[in-house]
Amino acid sequence: MSRVIRTAVLIVLGAIWLIPVYLLLVNAAKSPDEFSTTEVWKPTDLSLFGNIAEAMELSGLGDSVLSTLVYAVVSPTLAVLVGAAAGFAIVALRLRHGFAWFVAIFGGTVFPLQMILLPMFDAYSRTGLFDTRLGMVMVYTAISIPFSAFVMRNFFTGIAHSVFEAAVLEGATTWRIFTRVYLPMASSALVAVFILQATFIWNDFLLGLVLSQSDTVRPIVTSLAGMQSTYGGAQMSTVLAGGLLVSLPTVVLFLCTQKFFARGLALGQY
Amino acid sequence: MRSPKIPLGITAALTTALLLASCGGGADDDGATTGTLDFFTNKAAWEPDFDELNSQSESDVDISLDTTGYSDADQYDAFIRQSFRTDKSPGLFTWQTGPSLEEIVDEGLVAETTDIWTEAVDQGWVSEDLRETYTFDGEQYCVPMNVAYWVMYYNKAIFEEQGISEPTTWAELDAIAEQLTDADITPYYQTSTLFTFQWFQQMVAGTDPELYNGLATGEVKYTDPEIVEIMDTWLEQQEAGWFSDAGSTVDPAVGLKQGDYAMINFGSFFNGSLDGAGMVSGEDYDMFVIPATNPDLEQTPVAVESGPLCVAENSSQKTLGLTYSEWWMSPEAQTAWSEARGDVAFNPEATVADPMLEELGSTVADDDHVVYDRYYEATPTPILTVALEQFGAFIANPSDPMPYLETIQAEADSYWADRE
Amino acid sequence: MTSLKTPTAKTPGQRDPYRWSARGFVAPGVLGVAVLLYLPLLWTTFISFTEYNGLGDPEWVGIENYAEMLDDPEFLGSVLNTLLWVVGTLLVPVGIGLGVALLTWKLPGGTWLRLPFLIPYAVSGIGVGVIWSFILTGDGALDQALAAFGIADTPRWLVDAPLNTVVMILATAWQGVGVNALLFTIGLQSIPKEPLEAARMDGANGVRLFRSILWPMLRPLTAVVVGLSIVASLKTFDIVQGMTKGGPGRASETLALTMYKETFVNSDYGLGSAIAVFLTIVTLAAAILYLRQQLSSKHEV
Repeated sequence: MSRVIRTAVLIVLGAIWLIPVYLLLVNAAKSPDEFSTTEVWKPTDLSLFGNIAEAMELSGLGDSVLSTLVYAVVSPTLAVLVGAAAGFAIVALRLRHGFAWFVAIFGGTVFPLQMILLPMFDAYSRTGLFDTRLGMVMVYTAISIPFSAFVMRNFFTGIAHSVFEAAVLEGATTWRIFTRVYLPMASSALVAVFILQATFIWNDFLLGLVLSQSDTVRPIVTSLAGMQSTYGGAQMSTVLAGGLLVSLPTVVLFLCTQKFFARGLALGQY
Repeated sequence: MRSPKIPLGITAALTTALLLASCGGGADDDGATTGTLDFFTNKAAWEPDFDELNSQSESDVDISLDTTGYSDADQYDAFIRQSFRTDKSPGLFTWQTGPSLEEIVDEGLVAETTDIWTEAVDQGWVSEDLRETYTFDGEQYCVPMNVAYWVMYYNKAIFEEQGISEPTTWAELDAIAEQLTDADITPYYQTSTLFTFQWFQQMVAGTDPELYNGLATGEVKYTDPEIVEIMDTWLEQQEAGWFSDAGSTVDPAVGLKQGDYAMINFGSFFNGSLDGAGMVSGEDYDMFVIPATNPDLEQTPVAVESGPLCVAENSSQKTLGLTYSEWWMSPEAQTAWSEARGDVAFNPEATVADPMLEELGSTVADDDHVVYDRYYEATPTPILTVALEQFGAFIANPSDPMPYLETIQAEADSYWADRE
Repeated sequence: MTSLKTPTAKTPGQRDPYRWSARGFVAPGVLGVAVLLYLPLLWTTFISFTEYNGLGDPEWVGIENYAEMLDDPEFLGSVLNTLLWVVGTLLVPVGIGLGVALLTWKLPGGTWLRLPFLIPYAVSGIGVGVIWSFILTGDGALDQALAAFGIADTPRWLVDAPLNTVVMILATAWQGVGVNALLFTIGLQSIPKEPLEAARMDGANGVRLFRSILWPMLRPLTAVVVGLSIVASLKTFDIVQGMTKGGPGRASETLALTMYKETFVNSDYGLGSAIAVFLTIVTLAAAILYLRQQLSSKHEV
């Protein structure tokens, strides 16, 4: 297909994809008094910043930002390294029963998260991890590992084993091969896993709800959700404005990391 | 994982963990009567209101609440149940009345509040009616956090435009619905998720309170002819176009404001939502107590919803929680609460900020009205879950009610059979 | 690419020099998952054989909960809805994701053209639920837009089954396409240049290039995307809970919703756990069946 057609198709499809984002923006900017569901398409007024301020006040978001930032940076970083190490062991080091080990790690993602909340709460409150940042980092890391291991394992299969053998001949240790050869080659996959998991953690609601209670430990979305309920609370446009505010850092993250995916990887040279 | 060592090791570790997890929980009461009380609530949106109350409670009894709100009611429920087993057993928490409260009282998990109630009733701070909701085996547990009466809200502009005044009989209400339908205005709001029960509740209790109570205790079957007749009436109303689009997820307050429907049957906490949506109490919207379906009833039944404020028996903050509960019943506390939350107060000596709610409080308390527990609290949970679904399905696809009723009754049969 | 002479075939007695090193590298992952995820799951499995309401102590009842689960006539409905989710998710978000990845591949400015598909993933779940309710509710954004084109008689998107499941799958696709496109892009980037150029020299392009070179070489990442899609769709919960709560009635209920309802709404922890165990076994079996075939070394050309 010619470049022009490809570009045109992408622009049209992309525009369709942005329609709900448009609705989100327009309606988050309506003042609660003006808000109506009969005219969702039309921008009526620009109270976005007022709504954002209202959302911050109602939900006490401010306190959550720092801790959520810690979770969303530390946990995916750990998970991506741990996952890459597992992938390296299985693919490059040819771990015996590699598939079984892989399934053991991947199995951590097959059951519904809701089912482990209660035993986790119980265990956390007994071990003193309940309502601590350490506890939150641990659980977020653990749930990010399977995805990370899966992507990294499969990404490494694309690297010729001769790369590993050549490094061994040069006398490198496995640790050195992992950190100096495999990790650098996998930078785009590492970044992709990182941003996807960071976004997932940033937007987590459920684990934060069950495993934390104080404002300084609770993640941001759990705090935000608190202002919305049947029994009164924030108006729709305020909720949307809050949702928008919370989404900003992840959108920026996606924007900033795009360059990693722009250049091709020269894996073929090996 | 064909190596036998690994599974063995894991199994051993897991078994140890399980044994640890099965130990009992709870903590000793530290006996403090002042300080910071950890408070858990599923009314997360009310957190700022509770915070506002702290200045009053600090000056009266030197206790302030550290509130943690749970925006997901189901998760909240599970969290509280689980926390009784740990040292997080709550010093103060909100719960539901009815079978849910009975369940945790039966397990001995809730601190008794009989003395607080005796005192409050003697002082005239709370009605004898309300005490019954909190009584199990002659003792009281928890105190009421809030009360809400289920009434009919209406859009004043629409009523004025159509020259309609508040109905005093069921026949008048029916006539209003017909008039509105003729004018191309949808009379009532409805939804097919969660709040699917109120119209059923209204018509059953309004026809015969005994019938309503019988459903809650299992003496009346959902397939009994009286119930079927009520459902048939509901079906006729559905077919006449009296109810709004069942699939709409529009915030009901916004819907009433923009005139998607003229009336909405909701709890009196709805004032807060309407105010928030930009309507003015008494100017843009008003409310009336729904007349009884059966004109021969001597008293008009009004559904009441009451959320308890409880203290866990094995909490380290038990004394502190009970001290706060005692203060909570006082007129000072209730006046401050009504101001913060803008809700009806259960304490007749408290001042209510919104005149509309003040009036509702005294109307319901007079001899022409009688309160009954809302369907949501009165019905045992497993039956309720099925009933809410079946009413939702009926609302979405109005048709012969019998299959829906049979499904609910099947669940009721198995529930009551288990209890015998 | 892995060489075809597989040095893994070790002769007995010959020691693998990397045995301990490999175990060391895999250990943190296995331990993290085992301690934080498998331990709690074991508790759930235990509870599934008991009668437990969250208070007091669990009472052993054997397989009674499993019998009750299979006895429920509506259980089949949940299973069918869940299967619809699996099929729908494989068709729509995976398909479009692959399409977007291929269209943007080696296209000037492709990175930026891919961005609109990634933004929905970055938008927090709270916003997503609300926005799609706006769009799909009766007389909502979609109906208003259709009315502008003169289409007045629209279906009730969230009320009529199985239409409600279908539109919810589309809403999920809106969020998921970007992620799949990103993963496929990584796969495309890791394709070595030589075979590609050789194929180009032979005059392969378009469909033929895709079938002969790209598709086989994408296999590792296709396995990731499809594997994750199967797992995620079997567990579908958030969007259904947010938009229809499984209704009207139980018309759009998935297995995860049934499980959630029994556990958290009815406080029947035993039955809820039994459904969770059933769901876990099905998901694990599906994942192993699929991945075993995809990841076996003969495919890793």
